[in-house]
Amino acid sequence: MSKETPLLPLEDAREMALFFVVGALCFLAALATLSAKSTYGAARSWTAEVEGELTVSLPDADRRGAEAARKLIESTDGIREARLLSKAEIDALLEPNFGSRGLPESLPLPQLIAVTAEPDVEFIGPTLERRLTEAGFVNAVDEHADWAGDVRRMLAIARLVALTAVALLASTAVAVIAFATHAALLARRDIVDVLHLAGARDRYIAGLFERRFWLLGIRAGAVGALLALGAAAAMIFAVHSSGARTGLLPELSLDFLDLIILILTPLIAGLAARLAARVTVIRSLKSVM
Amino acid sequence: MTLSRHDLFDDVAVRLDGVSLRYDTSEDILSGIDLVLKPGSFSFLTGASGAGKTSLLKLLYLALKPSRGEVSLFGRPTSRLTRDQLSALRRRVGVVFQEFRLLDHLTAYENVALPLRVLGRKESTYRSDVEELLAWVGLGERMHARPTTLSGGEQQRVAIARAVVTQPDILIADEPTGNVDPEMGSRLMRLFLELNKRRATTVIIATHDLGLVRQVEAPVFRLQHGLLVQDVEYGPAARRRTDISKAVE
Repeated sequence: MSKETPLLPLEDAREMALFFVVGALCFLAALATLSAKSTYGAARSWTAEVEGELTVSLPDADRRGAEAARKLIESTDGIREARLLSKAEIDALLEPNFGSRGLPESLPLPQLIAVTAEPDVEFIGPTLERRLTEAGFVNAVDEHADWAGDVRRMLAIARLVALTAVALLASTAVAVIAFATHAALLARRDIVDVLHLAGARDRYIAGLFERRFWLLGIRAGAVGALLALGAAAAMIFAVHSSGARTGLLPELSLDFLDLIILILTPLIAGLAARLAARVTVIRSLKSVM
Repeated sequence: MTLSRHDLFDDVAVRLDGVSLRYDTSEDILSGIDLVLKPGSFSFLTGASGAGKTSLLKLLYLALKPSRGEVSLFGRPTSRLTRDQLSALRRRVGVVFQEFRLLDHLTAYENVALPLRVLGRKESTYRSDVEELLAWVGLGERMHARPTTLSGGEQQRVAIARAVVTQPDILIADEPTGNVDPEMGSRLMRLFLELNKRRATTVIIATHDLGLVRQVEAPVFRLQHGLLVQDVEYGPAARRRTDISKAVE
């Protein structure tokens, strides 16, 4: 007798089906978690980008006048940097609307100054507008923070949706595992009865099912996480290779935290399976003497 | 003076005090049962099919709780014990079922060793004991066979070996000869008697096979309409008395 046969028989077709279901749920949960994390990252970078950013438009000023206005802006308290946009940069901004052939010289274009405020300064637009007007500049100040609030609200909803999806998928996985454990227990009632009557303690019997479902959860979770990794990598590759502009897309990259999420997926699946098995078996055994 | 293990049992292996049992809302299956089994005793439990023999045995091997009354094993009222204490008590009771209840994915050897695995013993510590036990029940050559390849008699002998491998203080057998031929039934009965004599194990066997009961001089408890009565009109001595009466007539 070199190796003892496990007291629970090896996996049957029911457990293969459960393996597939848990693997699929882990795939979806991992992908949803990666998406949620990506949305968080995008929200952070978008809001950081637009908050504290202003654009000052001077419709009547020439380059010299604009440079004077820039210096005035930069000397204002709470302003970190003011930069006069070149003709080429203005052309690039208008390219989506007017094409790449260049604009007629006769078309009157405003001078634009990109302004960056200090991080802790809020709503400095009216101050700038007043100072420029007092200096005789016809101007319009566009404070990006005005619409950053809309972006934040939209992203908060997106994050909530992603987190809800993760929570739903995780709880569904736990419920499916608990249901399957119960079914497995019923199918192996004979073994449980024999062990029970042989004097096995509840935790000994539960331990057999816990080990079985812990391994099943780990393996299924690993397969799901690997598939999620493949899907995420494929999406990143597709976006990058198409040369699409990703400025308004969530940050598509795999970093260390993403890998931690993928590593945690099978562990969480295994723990959920183990816990579900323990609770189900102990509760079932409590119903007999 | 040396104490035997029976001295520690309060001199009673099994005691039932006013035990009744009912399933759900049905009528009582068992009603006000009083029963005392002494350590080292050998007895039969008889009764018609459906009389409640299996239910009574389930109470004895702690698979069921009585609806009323108290079941005590070795002087310990089971209603006051924790689940772990009940498990510990079950280890002192061996059970043989009519339908064997062997695990098909284990070999005969592994089935017999199952209670020892449950106790957490290493295989090297019990291998020779299990092999010896299988040889004692006449299955030394078939220890690596799985139950599905064994005959009914062989399976029942594996089940008996499993029930006694921990040297239990009580052996409970529910219709142990129900699925074997009469010759095998007699052989199994000799195994039970040998166990009772060799190890002073308390044995109670439920059967409706009166032919089997008549082979042994032992008290017979009969279940009738949920009540338990002791019936002494069986066994070789009773048969001899009956034969003498017929001769006189």
